[in-house]
Amino acid sequence: MGTISIYIGRLYKDFKGGILVLPSRTIAFFFCLLLLLIPLITTEPYILRVLILSSIFAIFAASWDLLSGYTGQMNFGHALFFGVAAYTSALLNLHVGLPPWLTIPLGALAAVLAGLIVGVPCLRLRGPYLALATLAFPLILTGIIFVIPGITGGELGISGIDPLSGSRLTDYYIAVILMLGLGFVMWKITASKTGLIFHAIREDEVAVRASGINTTRYKLLAFCLSGLFAGVAGGMYVHFMRIAGPSTLELMLSFQAIIWVIFGGIATIYGPIAGVFILYPFMEFLRIIPEIRMLVFATLVVLILLFMPEGLTTWVRDKIEKECPRCKLRNIATRKSCRVCRADLD
Amino acid sequence: MIEAIIINGLISGGVYALLAVGFSLIFGVARIINIAHTAFYMLAAYFIYTFAHLLGLNPFLSVVLSVIIVILIGLVTYKLVIDPVREHGATTLIVTIALAIIFQEVMLIAFGGHFRGVPGLVSGYTEILGVKVTYQYLLTFGVVLVVLLGTWALLMKTKLGIAIRSTAQDREVANLMGINVARTGMMTMAIAVALAAIAGALVAPLRVLEPHMWMPPLVTILAIVVLGGLGSIKGSFIGAFILGFAETLVVFLVPSGAFLKGAVALTIMLIVILIRPEGLFGVAFEEER
Amino acid sequence: MNRVMKGAILLLLACFVMVAAGCPAPVVNEIKIGVIGPMAFVQGEHHWYGAQLAAEEINAQGGILVGDEWYQITLAQVDSNEMLSVTDAATAMEMAITVENVDFLVGGFRTEAVFAMQDVAMGYEVIFLGCGAATVELCTLVADDYETYKYWFRVTPINSSYLGMVDFLLLGMVAEEIRAELGIETPKVAILAEMAVWADSIVAAAYVYLPAMGMEIVGEWRPSPIATEVMAELSAIEAAGAHIIFTTISGPLGITYARQWGELEIPAASVGINVEAQKEGFWDATVGKGNYEMTMNTYARVNITDETIPFIDRFVESAGEFPTYNAGTYEALYILKAAIERAGTLDSDAVVAELENTDRIGTAGRIVFTDAHDVTWGPGYVTGLGVQWQDGEMKCVWPPADGSWEGVVYEGAVDYVLPPWMVEYWAP
Repeated sequence: MGTISIYIGRLYKDFKGGILVLPSRTIAFFFCLLLLLIPLITTEPYILRVLILSSIFAIFAASWDLLSGYTGQMNFGHALFFGVAAYTSALLNLHVGLPPWLTIPLGALAAVLAGLIVGVPCLRLRGPYLALATLAFPLILTGIIFVIPGITGGELGISGIDPLSGSRLTDYYIAVILMLGLGFVMWKITASKTGLIFHAIREDEVAVRASGINTTRYKLLAFCLSGLFAGVAGGMYVHFMRIAGPSTLELMLSFQAIIWVIFGGIATIYGPIAGVFILYPFMEFLRIIPEIRMLVFATLVVLILLFMPEGLTTWVRDKIEKECPRCKLRNIATRKSCRVCRADLD
Repeated sequence: MIEAIIINGLISGGVYALLAVGFSLIFGVARIINIAHTAFYMLAAYFIYTFAHLLGLNPFLSVVLSVIIVILIGLVTYKLVIDPVREHGATTLIVTIALAIIFQEVMLIAFGGHFRGVPGLVSGYTEILGVKVTYQYLLTFGVVLVVLLGTWALLMKTKLGIAIRSTAQDREVANLMGINVARTGMMTMAIAVALAAIAGALVAPLRVLEPHMWMPPLVTILAIVVLGGLGSIKGSFIGAFILGFAETLVVFLVPSGAFLKGAVALTIMLIVILIRPEGLFGVAFEEER
Repeated sequence: MNRVMKGAILLLLACFVMVAAGCPAPVVNEIKIGVIGPMAFVQGEHHWYGAQLAAEEINAQGGILVGDEWYQITLAQVDSNEMLSVTDAATAMEMAITVENVDFLVGGFRTEAVFAMQDVAMGYEVIFLGCGAATVELCTLVADDYETYKYWFRVTPINSSYLGMVDFLLLGMVAEEIRAELGIETPKVAILAEMAVWADSIVAAAYVYLPAMGMEIVGEWRPSPIATEVMAELSAIEAAGAHIIFTTISGPLGITYARQWGELEIPAASVGINVEAQKEGFWDATVGKGNYEMTMNTYARVNITDETIPFIDRFVESAGEFPTYNAGTYEALYILKAAIERAGTLDSDAVVAELENTDRIGTAGRIVFTDAHDVTWGPGYVTGLGVQWQDGEMKCVWPPADGSWEGVVYEGAVDYVLPPWMVEYWAP
C-alpha cells in the first residue's frame, strides 16, 4: 500500500514537473488524453472515421516535416512514399494474402526504398531544384501505373483489400495509438543528436560538413526515415479505405501535406499533427456549406499565415511561453525568471 | 512525318514558352515560386470568355481589358498576401497554392464546373509543309516570339530592366544602390502576370475553359523552368521547346504510349538536372551560406 | 402563500409551453434518399436534378406506399467531391449513412471513388443504386460475393463491355456509310482512346472485331485521360491516312479534340464514345466546331419509350439543361419506389429481393437487372443510342432509322451524315 502511494506520488511529481510546467506540454498531454477517451463520449462511426483519417494524415504530414522541415530538403512529391506504400501493401495483401500487420511494415519498407531511390540522385540538388525534381517522381510513377494496368488496376486502382481490423473502434485505437507513438518517436528523433544535425544541415550545410559530419549520409537518412513514416501512413490508409488507386499519388496530396505542416508550424513535429487535427475536421465541418467549402478553407489558410507566418503552433507557443535568454530553456510566459537558472526573462 | 513532328514540336513548345517565361521571371527576380501563376492564366481566360462571349465585346478589346484586370488582381494579391510573407520561403509557397485554390473556387462558384470554349481570336487553318496548323496556333507562336523579344529588350535595354536584373542578383546591394526594391518587385509581378494573362488569351481557345485548368500546365511549366535553369529566361524558352519536341516525338513514334508524354517530359527534366544540378542555363550558386 | 401559488402556476405554464414546443408535429412518414455525387460538376448536378424531379413527382402522387402507410421522399444532397478526393467521397458516404441516416443512396461517378463508396455502403448494408460509373467490376463483385455486395445495383449507364458492343455497332454503321458513299471497301481506322482500364477492353476488342468487320487499323493513339490537347495526335492520324477516328474519351479532352478535328477539317469521320459530346454544352464549348461529331449516348430527343420525351421536357424545364446519363437517378428513384412498394417494408434485404425482380419501362428503355445487379442491354431492353451533332442539334442516328439493327427504331431518329469536308477529300 505504502509503496503504491509512493509510486503514485512520484508519478504525480513527474507529471507536475514534466508536463504541467509548460503550457504547451499540458496542451499536448490533454490532447492525447482526449483522443484516447473520445470513444467514451461518442462512438459515432463518422466521427471516428474523421479522426482515424486525421491520425493517418498526421503521421504523413509529420513525416514530411521530419524531412523537409528539419533538414530543409524541400520535398514536393511526398505522395510518392504514401503511394508506393499504398500499392505495395495492397498488392501484398491481395496477391500474397499477407495480413495488414505485415503488409503495412512491408509497404513502409518499400517506401524507404523509394526514399533511397529518390534521395540518392537528388543529393546534389538544392532548394527549388530539389523541390521540383521530387515533384516529378510521383507523377512519373502514375504514368507507370497506367502502363501496367494488369497489376495496378489503372485508374480503377486495387480494391478488395482486407480491412485494418474489421471494427471501427479497434481501427480507431490502432490509428490513434500508432499516430501518437510514431509522433513521439519522430519528436524524439528530432530532439536527438541526429535531429540536431538535421537542423544544422538546414541552417548551414557547409559548416556541418566542416565539422567532420557526413551530411550526405544524414540527408539520405532523413529521406529514408521520412519514407518509413509516410509509408506507414500509406499502408494504414489502404487498409482503412480498402482501395489503392492513383489518387494516392496525386499532386494535391503532396501539397496537402505541405499545407498542413506550414499551417501547424514547420520543424516542430507536433505542429503538423496539430495542423491536421485542426484542418481536416474543419474541412469536414465545412460540409454544411459545400459550395464554398474549399474557398473558406483556402482563405482561412491565407489569413492565418498572414498573421502567423511561422505557423499556428509556433505562434501560440511564442505567446504562452518564452525562452530563457541564458540557458535556452522554455518557460511559461507568466514567469519573471527562468525556472532553472533563475535568469531574468524579460 | 518529319515535317509534322517539327511543326507540332515548335507549336507546342511555343505554347509552353509563353506560360513558362512569366513564371521564370518572377522566380528569378523575387525568388517566389508562384504556384498561382497559371491561375492568373485561368482568370484571364474566364474574363475573356465573359467579355467576348457573354457581353459580346470585340475580341481584341476583351483581351486588352482582361489583361489589365488580371494585372490589377495580380498586383493587389501581391501587395496584400504574397509580399508580407515573402521572407518565409515555404509560407510563400503555401500562400500561392491557397491563392490558386481561391481563384479556382471563385470561378467555380461564378461559372460552375461546366466545360466551356473560349472563342479564338482568329479561325481557320493553313498548311505548312503539308501539315495543317490552325491560325490560332500560328498567332500564339508569333506572339511568343514578340513577347520574348519584348521581355528581353525590357530587361536588357531599359532602366527598369537593369533594376529588375540587379534586384534578381543581389537584393540588398540593389537596395543600397538606390533601387526601389519593393517597386521593382511590383513591376516584375505586373509583367509576369501580364504574360500569364496573354497566355490565357492565346492558349485558352486551344484548350477547355474550366476552373481547374490551371493545374495541368503547372507541372509542365515547373519542369520547363527547372530544366532550363530557374530564373533564366533563355533557359525557359529553350526548355519549353525541348519538352514540346519530346512530347511530340512520343506521340508520333510511340502512339500507343501517348499518355506517357507527361512522364517522359518529367523524366527528361530529371535527367538534365541530375547531370547539371542548376539546369541548362541556371546560375550555379556557390555553396550558399 | 398566494405568491407561492402564483409561482407554481407560472412554473406549470412554463412546463406546458416547453412540452408543447418539444412535442413533435403530427408524424409524417419519410424515406430519406441520399443523392451522392460531385455536386460542383455537371455529373453531380444531374444526379441531383434527376432525383429531385422524381421525388417531386412521387411525392405529388402521395409518396411511396409501404404496407398500408404512405411515405414521403426526402432527398439529402451529398457532395462527394469525388473528382478531387477519393477520401472525401468515402467519408461523405459514411456521413450520409450514419449522421444523416439516409435509407437509400443513388449516384456516384468516378470509378475509383465509387469503389470506395460502394465499400462503405455495403458495410452498412444500405442499398446503393449506381448512376454514373460504367466499370464492369463494380457488378462482378456482386456475382463473386453476393452476400456482401448485393446492396449494389447499376441503373445507368450500361456497363463498359456493353458500351463496347454499341461502340462497334456505331463504327460498323459509319464504315458502311463510307463504303456506300465513297466507295472505300476497307476503311482505315485510327484508334484514339484515353489510357484507362475501361478503354483498354474496347481497344483490345477492336483488334479482334475490326478486321472481321472489313476495316483496317492504322494506329492506336492513347493520350492520358487528363491530357489537355491532341494536336500532335490529330496530325499523326491524318498523316496515317485514316478514314475513321474511333474515339474512346471521357474527359474534357473530348472537347479540345472535337474542336480541333473540326477546325482542321481532318478528313476522317469521328465515331465512338466522347462523353463531353453527350452534353448540351458541347456545341458552345467547341464554338460550333464540333459539328458532325458522333458519340454513343443514353438520351436524345427520340421516342425510346413513351416516357423518354416527356421526361426530357420536364428535366429541361426544371434544370434548364438537357439530361446526361447521370440523370438516371430519376429512374433509380422510380425503381426504388416500385421495389419498396412490392416489398411492403423498408428492410434492405427484402427490398433487394424485390429490386432483383425489377422490370420497368423507363426513360432510357426497359430496365431489368442481371444476376450481377447490372442493367441489361439488348434489343427490347436498354440499347443505348448513337447521336450525331448536326448544325447545333444532337440527333439520334442509331439505332438506324431504317430499322436495320434488330428492327429497333426509335421515332425521331435521322440518318447519319459524313462530314462534308471528308466527302470532298475522299470523293472518288
